[in-house]
Amino acid sequence: MSLREYCLRRVCFGLLLIAGVTFVSFTLMVYFGPDVAFVLAGRNSTAEELQAIRDQFHLSDPFLVRYGLFLKELVTLDFGNSFVTGVPVMRTLAKTIPISLAVVLPGFVLGNVLGLGFALIAARFRGGWVDRLIMGASVVGMSISLLIVVIVAQIVLSSEYGLNLFPSRGWRMGSLSEYLTYVTVPTIATVFVALGYNTRFYRAVLVEELSRDHVRTARAFGASPLNIMTRHVLKNALIPIITRILFTIPLIVVSGSLVIESYFGIPGVGKITFDAIRSNDQPILKAVVSLTAILFVLMLVAADILYRAVDPRLGDQ
Amino acid sequence: MGEISKRIAWLAGSSLLAVIVVSLVSCDGNESATESAPSQHIYRHSFDEAPRTLDPVRSATVYTSFIVLNAYDTLYSYKYLARPFELKPNLASAMPEFSDDGLILTIPLKQGVRFIDDASFDGGLGREVTAHDVVYSLKRHFDPASLSQGSWLWKNRIVGLDAWGANGANYAQDVPGLLALDDYTLQITLVKPFPQIMYTLAMGFAAVVPQEAVEKYGSELGVRPVGSGPFRVTSFDSTQVTMERNPDFRSEPVDLAAEGYDADVHAGYNLEKLDGRSPPFVDGIQISFINDDSSRVTSLSKGGELHYARLPAPYYDRYLDMSSPTTLKPTYRERFQMISGIEPAFVYHSFNMLDEDFGYNEDPEQNERNKSLRCAIIKGFNWQERNDRFYAGVAEVFPGVIPPVAQEYDPGLSRESVTYDPEGAKALLAEHDWTAENLPTLTYAVPASVRQTQMFEQFRGFMQKIGYPGNKIELKQYATFGDLAEDWASAKLPLINKGWSLDYPDAENTLQLYYGPNRSPGSNDSNYANDAYDALYEKTSVMMPGPERTALYHQMNQMTIDDCLAMSGLSRKTILLWDKNVIAYPDRNIVGGHWTRFVDFVE
Repeated sequence: MSLREYCLRRVCFGLLLIAGVTFVSFTLMVYFGPDVAFVLAGRNSTAEELQAIRDQFHLSDPFLVRYGLFLKELVTLDFGNSFVTGVPVMRTLAKTIPISLAVVLPGFVLGNVLGLGFALIAARFRGGWVDRLIMGASVVGMSISLLIVVIVAQIVLSSEYGLNLFPSRGWRMGSLSEYLTYVTVPTIATVFVALGYNTRFYRAVLVEELSRDHVRTARAFGASPLNIMTRHVLKNALIPIITRILFTIPLIVVSGSLVIESYFGIPGVGKITFDAIRSNDQPILKAVVSLTAILFVLMLVAADILYRAVDPRLGDQ
Repeated sequence: MGEISKRIAWLAGSSLLAVIVVSLVSCDGNESATESAPSQHIYRHSFDEAPRTLDPVRSATVYTSFIVLNAYDTLYSYKYLARPFELKPNLASAMPEFSDDGLILTIPLKQGVRFIDDASFDGGLGREVTAHDVVYSLKRHFDPASLSQGSWLWKNRIVGLDAWGANGANYAQDVPGLLALDDYTLQITLVKPFPQIMYTLAMGFAAVVPQEAVEKYGSELGVRPVGSGPFRVTSFDSTQVTMERNPDFRSEPVDLAAEGYDADVHAGYNLEKLDGRSPPFVDGIQISFINDDSSRVTSLSKGGELHYARLPAPYYDRYLDMSSPTTLKPTYRERFQMISGIEPAFVYHSFNMLDEDFGYNEDPEQNERNKSLRCAIIKGFNWQERNDRFYAGVAEVFPGVIPPVAQEYDPGLSRESVTYDPEGAKALLAEHDWTAENLPTLTYAVPASVRQTQMFEQFRGFMQKIGYPGNKIELKQYATFGDLAEDWASAKLPLINKGWSLDYPDAENTLQLYYGPNRSPGSNDSNYANDAYDALYEKTSVMMPGPERTALYHQMNQMTIDDCLAMSGLSRKTILLWDKNVIAYPDRNIVGGHWTRFVDFVE
């Protein structure tokens, strides 16, 4: 099967996946969700006024009609205007997604790169005190809630009770220095939590690879430890690593980081999603869920292509 | 293989760089321009919640209203310092003239007031605000397309306005009760006397918008206000709003005495420096929406990042000397100004009278038993404990539904309905044959949160002490407030746990919570139906303030107590802190956004 045919097949499968995700999410979140009319109406509304609001937003239409409208929105990528702010949903996302990316990406990259680095060291010295130290620290990092990490980071780095080096909240990207000032503490908090998970995962993958025959053979040929870890171990462990990284991307791009954005007052997509859940702003919710599903499918296809790139044997199968 | 790895690394690296560059480029440099200029005086305020829209017709929360009142003008506003609250002309040039029968108000408008420059106007230059704009702005509330949350204020009050909305909301058609006699004279004809109308004309709902902006921006007017207020909004998102001084705002020098300045109360706040100067005094305002208490306090305590915050109860011990009167501890007294006061709002727990287990019952005997059950629950509710555990013991518990801030509050009213009396509750239950076996299940519904769950556990404890089985007090949690509000409005819950903020300082605003025609889905979600109460409400609704009306208010208040309608109530104490370098005298609820134009810096 050629790469093109293979990708086409994955895309078809992906479309089915999107249809499934959107159907389930629409049913649970929109159709069985709370009645938005009560949120939008003013005090002392009459039953007639509530019904008028439902009619205005097609909330009383039959299930299939509403789902059809939703699919149309999905195909045209026009989810209408937010019930609450009145702003077109896609414009809101276009404004907030870059902010979320700018907030989360440094932490994401650092968390993975450092995680991989620590995992390589831990795997290299497997069973020794270095390994135990790294794994112990990872467990500590994993055990502390992001919420606690954020609060402690704010106090230690951004308050009068600590070093008071950075702003405790807010977001500006007028210049690179401003960006670095505002992104540092959120990044430190993100990395602190992500590092533990990443290190443990990558170490497990690398340790498994270390016990394979080709590594033993490389050692027998006298390859240096660095050469073994990078050329023979890391390279062959790339498939699970790529999988993990790629499937985290949709959550970063569309969902952002709710806790980080809420606590640091960052107007990203995570914050508006959280607000949309609280206010039952269905157009925003529909867009976020749909775009996350689409991105997952794209990542699925991208992952398959990359698998073939890093392991040519998969192309033959 | 090595080549591929390099390419992947290059791709990842360049993607990261591209994203950061795109993010930096895509951000609106203007957003931070106001904040960055070092010579500018920017006042940094904070809210506990984020407003979702800035459209006056949807300014139902104190947060939206606060910003609306800075960006737009209203005909009237509150005097900055006068307590009890007093109205004064704002966009209007004088208080209205009332006809002898009290039905016709004639309101003169100031001349020369201009909307801010905006692309919605010809040539981008703001035009003069006229009486026609006031007419248009009030009409919008009755246009179904506007999704107004404030139309209830004027519903069935202004001649022809309801019918205008029902008949298609054609803006070209005149409303007989809402006329611009000329560019500077507004005439409102009421269906019947409406003593509270002046208060409504000072609310964010009554802000004056230009038709051009509504037509140009449509629903997006909610994020790009075009008004004639002291400030113009430069950016608004889910975390903050920034405003800059409206350079064309009319000159109105402050007359401190007329604003209600009293040296005994206001000395020490540096307010004297404002006298004779024309607001707004600061170059801009930045309001951060900080829901989390610790973030808000951390930000305030840094110095410079925030100038103002409401002090949350968990921080009272750290900041305050709780002896009476409440004062700041010396460390903080050097840095902050503080005022504390009872909120014009209250929390209460109202029974749903449509619930056959707790409310009305067709069987007179059962009806009486249900009432005894409600009365017993009220006696078993320990308000002092609730105050101590959840409000640091500084909130004010009061009987009935007229809270202490209302001018018609009755300090002499018996406190029996808020006095903890478990023995009396047990006796009442026994007297009416209520036993652990036949007591109905009571659902306590709240939005999902740790604090609300703790409140439920406390309530269940209270009930167990009067003999109510713990397994018959059920917690029902809702994912969002909207879900809960839907069940309130649908009369599905036996007990409604909620709070109410006064829209204006008149007890009519709380007494309407039990007016029969306001029943679900209206604000009478207790579904109280008492002809005598309704008759009194209707009688007082056309009476001007005075001792006679106050006496009738007290009668209505007593009816709610006698019928054991609610565990009510508690008004929280609000403690507001602001930087000592800032000249201010904040009021969150009633004066609201009207006071920020007077903010200045000492240096």
